[in-house]
Amino acid sequence: MLRPRVIVCLDVKDGRVVKGTRFRNLRDVGDPVELARRYEEEGADEIVYLDVSASKEDRGTLLDVVRRTAETLFIPLTVGGGVRSAEDIGPLLRAGADKISVNSAAVRDPGLLTVGAERFGSQCVVASIDAAAEEGGWRCYTHGGSQRTELDAVAWAKECVERGAGEILLTSIDQDGARSGYRLDLTRAVSDAVSVPVIASGGAGRPEHLRDAFTEGRASAALVAGILHDGLTTVGALKHDLTGWGVKVRPASQREAA
Amino acid sequence: MRVALFDYGAGNLHSLGKALEAAGADVVVSSDWDEALALDALVLPGVGAFGHAAAALPTDRTPLRAALRGGMPCLGICLGMQLFFEDSDEADGSGIGLLPGRVTALDAPVVPHMGWNDVATEVDPLFEGLDGLVAYYANSYVCEPEDDGCVIAHSTYAGRTFAAGVRAANSWGVQFHPEKSSADGRRIIGSFVRAATALAADRGRGETRREAAALPWEAP
Repeated sequence: MLRPRVIVCLDVKDGRVVKGTRFRNLRDVGDPVELARRYEEEGADEIVYLDVSASKEDRGTLLDVVRRTAETLFIPLTVGGGVRSAEDIGPLLRAGADKISVNSAAVRDPGLLTVGAERFGSQCVVASIDAAAEEGGWRCYTHGGSQRTELDAVAWAKECVERGAGEILLTSIDQDGARSGYRLDLTRAVSDAVSVPVIASGGAGRPEHLRDAFTEGRASAALVAGILHDGLTTVGALKHDLTGWGVKVRPASQREAA
Repeated sequence: MRVALFDYGAGNLHSLGKALEAAGADVVVSSDWDEALALDALVLPGVGAFGHAAAALPTDRTPLRAALRGGMPCLGICLGMQLFFEDSDEADGSGIGLLPGRVTALDAPVVPHMGWNDVATEVDPLFEGLDGLVAYYANSYVCEPEDDGCVIAHSTYAGRTFAAGVRAANSWGVQFHPEKSSADGRRIIGSFVRAATALAADRGRGETRREAAALPWEAP
């Protein structure tokens, strides 16, 4: 039985984990390598690093963080934000990322998804889509939600999959940071439209929000960030509640070492 | 115990290398088959696409196949396990042909099969102490051995049960990623390193388990 995944997202800037609202008011919350390992121990199923560094000069720093993380992390690591062209994919994977996620760069050059899938396999290409409710549909935004596009989120998700994406990371801009639940209608619309796993993102505040994303939203995975970083709950506590509701996540507690 | 971590030139070898080292192996990342086959054990990682990896196999598969049949310890992960077989739906190019059978596209509504799935294991040193194993997968293809006798573990996804693990001589293949399966996965890598170390020690004493091998891992 495939288990619904609880994925922890860390925003990384200049080699540090930062926290803020929609890329603003960032403050330092720790070392990504340490935090990622701690979340693995707590029972996280995957880690996502979202690089929010502004400049290209920070690329080396990101690669270094990925490299150091891969040496101590033994669950999958996805890196987003650092991919601006096909040439950026190889170095990130070589450094230790298992998957790369692309957002703005894929909108600018959708062929990026194809090149990535052909060269490295679609399982390591995640299409990241930021969507907002608009005129009865879903509008894609890029550049951290600051630039509106002409793309409909469901149609764009389907195109991403046709072009080679092996997974969709779907963030509701409306819900992001609100902690009032994932945008389930959006999650459901995309999950029903594509044949690859969908990660629900934006809005996790309580354990039942994850449950609803897996059931009503039909998501394969749920992304969690702020409520964990703020210490409001733990991966273990989330998984405990989910299990209690009959959502068969991977058990958080590790087997005793023999 | 020196293990060759074969590099097809695509993707992440860091976690796997570190897990092997943590288990006590000396890891040599290599893309040279002569070098790899001269070491004590071989690991075929699970990154990249079949066609790309098949192209990185030696043109003449015979010495590699003979080494594995002769008892060289090998761990094939995901794509690495698929390379044990003859060919794949994914791309042209042939595998090692250690096991008869082919690699077919996973028929399911949602592909890739991505995430943590239950693994029903049979008794094998690789899975010691791992009842109730849940391991991380990221595959769009599965292996279909001609003879199920080589299968040592199963998983089920979307109603389809497929080989999660196979074994031939001292070659183990797993369709999941032990290096991404947290503590349980590291335990599997540790078991492989322990088995390979014991086999290498036997070889050092001029003994072999399984069929007798003459020079390093050469089939009789």
